[in-house]
Amino acid sequence: MATAVLDLDFDDLPREITGLDGYSRALVLIRMRGRPVGQALLPVEDGRAGGKDALRDALLYAADSGFWEQWLRRFLDLEERTQVRGALPEASVAVCTRDRTDDLRRCLEALARLPDIGQEILVVDNCPSSESTRHLVAERKKVRYVREERPGLDNARNRAMREARKEIIAFTDDDATPDPGWLANLLRNFDDPHVLCVTGMTMPMELETRAQEYFQRAGGLGRGFKRTVYDSAYHNPLEGWQAGAGVNMALRRTVPDLIGPFDECLDVGTPVQGGGDSDIFGRILAKGFRIVYDPEALNWHRHRRDWEGLRRQLRGYESAGFAVWTRSLIVEGELEALAQAWHWLKRELPALGRSLLGVPGSAPRDLILARFRGAATGPWAYLYAHRRPMEKGTRP
Amino acid sequence: MTESTPIVSVIIPTHNRKADLERTLAALKIQIYPLVSVEVITVADGCTDGTLEMLNGYEAPFALRVLAQSNLGPGSARNLGAASATSPLLLFLDDDVEPAASFIEAHVLAHQRRKGHVVVGPYLPFFPNPTFYQTRLRAWWERVFDEMLRPGHRFAFFDLLTGNVSIEREIFNRIGGFHAGMRAHEDYEFGMRLIKAGVPFAVAPDAMGRHHDRSDIEHAILRKREEGKSDVIMARLHPEFVQALPLAGSGAGWPPSIDILRFLAFHMPTVGDACAVVSRRALGFLERVRLRSHWNRLFGAALIYGYWIGAASELKTTAKLKALLDQGPRRVQENGPMAEIDLSEGIEAAERRLDEERPSAIRVRLGRRPVGVIPPQPGAEALRGAHLRYILADRLAVPLLQGLALEGGIAGTETVDRPRLASAIRGRAHWFGPIRPGQMWWEQYSQWKDSRDRRECLEQEVAWLAERRQHWRQLAENNRIDGLKE
Repeated sequence: MATAVLDLDFDDLPREITGLDGYSRALVLIRMRGRPVGQALLPVEDGRAGGKDALRDALLYAADSGFWEQWLRRFLDLEERTQVRGALPEASVAVCTRDRTDDLRRCLEALARLPDIGQEILVVDNCPSSESTRHLVAERKKVRYVREERPGLDNARNRAMREARKEIIAFTDDDATPDPGWLANLLRNFDDPHVLCVTGMTMPMELETRAQEYFQRAGGLGRGFKRTVYDSAYHNPLEGWQAGAGVNMALRRTVPDLIGPFDECLDVGTPVQGGGDSDIFGRILAKGFRIVYDPEALNWHRHRRDWEGLRRQLRGYESAGFAVWTRSLIVEGELEALAQAWHWLKRELPALGRSLLGVPGSAPRDLILARFRGAATGPWAYLYAHRRPMEKGTRP
Repeated sequence: MTESTPIVSVIIPTHNRKADLERTLAALKIQIYPLVSVEVITVADGCTDGTLEMLNGYEAPFALRVLAQSNLGPGSARNLGAASATSPLLLFLDDDVEPAASFIEAHVLAHQRRKGHVVVGPYLPFFPNPTFYQTRLRAWWERVFDEMLRPGHRFAFFDLLTGNVSIEREIFNRIGGFHAGMRAHEDYEFGMRLIKAGVPFAVAPDAMGRHHDRSDIEHAILRKREEGKSDVIMARLHPEFVQALPLAGSGAGWPPSIDILRFLAFHMPTVGDACAVVSRRALGFLERVRLRSHWNRLFGAALIYGYWIGAASELKTTAKLKALLDQGPRRVQENGPMAEIDLSEGIEAAERRLDEERPSAIRVRLGRRPVGVIPPQPGAEALRGAHLRYILADRLAVPLLQGLALEGGIAGTETVDRPRLASAIRGRAHWFGPIRPGQMWWEQYSQWKDSRDRRECLEQEVAWLAERRQHWRQLAENNRIDGLKE
């Protein structure tokens, strides 16, 4: 059965939540005075969140360490600063999209509701098959439309970096919607000049299907509820994906000059099917700069509903991972990429074995096979894309 | 006005770094603080690169005094500078630290606000496109200052960093200046005497400088040798702090292979030195092929070996090392009283008690329920009230939350099952604190796993095992029948 997604403020909790018929569980984002601090998974019985327990009690039993740490800090009167030193830098919000006007409409509506802190909104229409995105954007005065003919998400991202007029470029996907505090919470982390990139937490918009639930429980797009500073002294740049995801990231405008552009052979729209974000994260770290992951910079993502889409996505992730390592090996000369691939195999082969034997609780066979297929094709896909860059105007 | 006695004496020891020193002096010329109240004392410590000539012809908007000595080390150079200072406030600055415009002003303001403190200012290096070594070096400096700037930080002797520190001249003279016989860690040794004398530390974030650290691997390993030697001297002078030194073998980030390296340094230094030479080559290779984690491990080992070689040159035998360490712990017990803190009397009351008693360790209770112990930390300042809340949040979070849950201290939960809540919090204990590398979403993943019906899982697994067993039995049976047929 499906999982309901709830967004609850611990300081403004309803007595109970009912009417969740058809759900067996509820995934709750817990806030304290509006700030996202943690999550809890509650049982749902007879459409009532928390089952027999009172909602507040059920939430306390199920809350994670992020919530408790924040609760204790408040109890001890140690609440952290939420404002920054000096003024926030200004940002361009960039949405790279292609032929998904329904999702994009919802995304733009949510972006329009963000408090105005001087941001501009930029839609990069990547090699579209129709004019529908242009028409959709034309209805909105405050949104700038840019058309990038060369296919590939990284081409669109590079275009956005060039077109942006502000100091920071915040990227979000067309199938995501930002929380009201999203942009300001991303921007506040740029007060350290070594920080070139800030990433944030991404929660699921809905968990209605088995595919969405599976994706979320396997980690989803979030990276936990603790603010983390990534620095190559403690984090391997080849594990750049750990720092966040392209659905929720902001970069300094200087990144192309300091680090180079996004690699156009990577990510959606190329044979590799992903990895542009983890590649740039890794390169930022390798050059001695930092990435901050701030869970309070929250947005919501609609995971793919169908199982086939999930399978494609997981395959794309592994393909991307291996393509990024291939790039590190041949472009940056990072021999450690081989060690990474070896560790991946050591970790995943037993999982494959368990799945093939049908051990209960193991990953579905088709998904794990899709991931292995992705891993096997990733390096070749990158080499193919690397040798034959997409020609202008062609479709992938 | 020009005849007024200076208020600050900036003391810069220097050794053959003419260009760096010029940059530092240039940065001092553009301070916000009125330069008529500043005297700058440079102490050339065995300089042979024309530093003295440069200084003698230097035109500055502040009073510049130039002293020189034969190469006796930075500690002795600072003492010489301090002895000739005429102002009540001494500000020690390294020749490769380029101070920000607010540097002197921030130090002076910090002393006005907090009389009798020793004030440290941050000085971070920055390397564009860093080597592996530089990445590690910068991370070290940043960790040191991040830690110091964290509210509720408990200062210790190793927070006394002489690249950017100020102290009243009267206190400096009372403590007795730097140890002249040490070539490294003379700042830590001075810090130990400050801690023992109860001189409070403070950090002034605006008193910052940029550290043009040009050291490299060779330099780092040589420096570790000096640190090994110096730590032995320090342990002899301050046996009660010996447990805080890497000599005691428990420094943070020291791998278990430390025992092998120590053995080599004391018993087979020829083998050890040969390994060191090979590893120096290997480090270059590992960096060329970008094997970062292997490089880090090998470099860490080279540093540790260098440290032990230094210590061994001073101690000669491991028996002497053992004797040196043995005199420590007994004294730690005598290090000061342990205070009993009862949080049910209120946190403010507990803070006041800490400020009055200044214990070195505390035992925390919540009514009659024990919460935890903060053991004495050798080499750290006595506990203050300002430390308490941070200690509770960072180190005693789980037992405190459990205690609060059982005592009903978690407000608004009249219907809550207290033991169940306490056990739920204990169940999360593993995930408290910062995220462990590579485990970004493991806690959330564990929540999903816990949310499955355990009985259902168990039944599934039992059924699966039974089915497998049946399968193998069937196979064995078939084989047996096949065997009989043949």
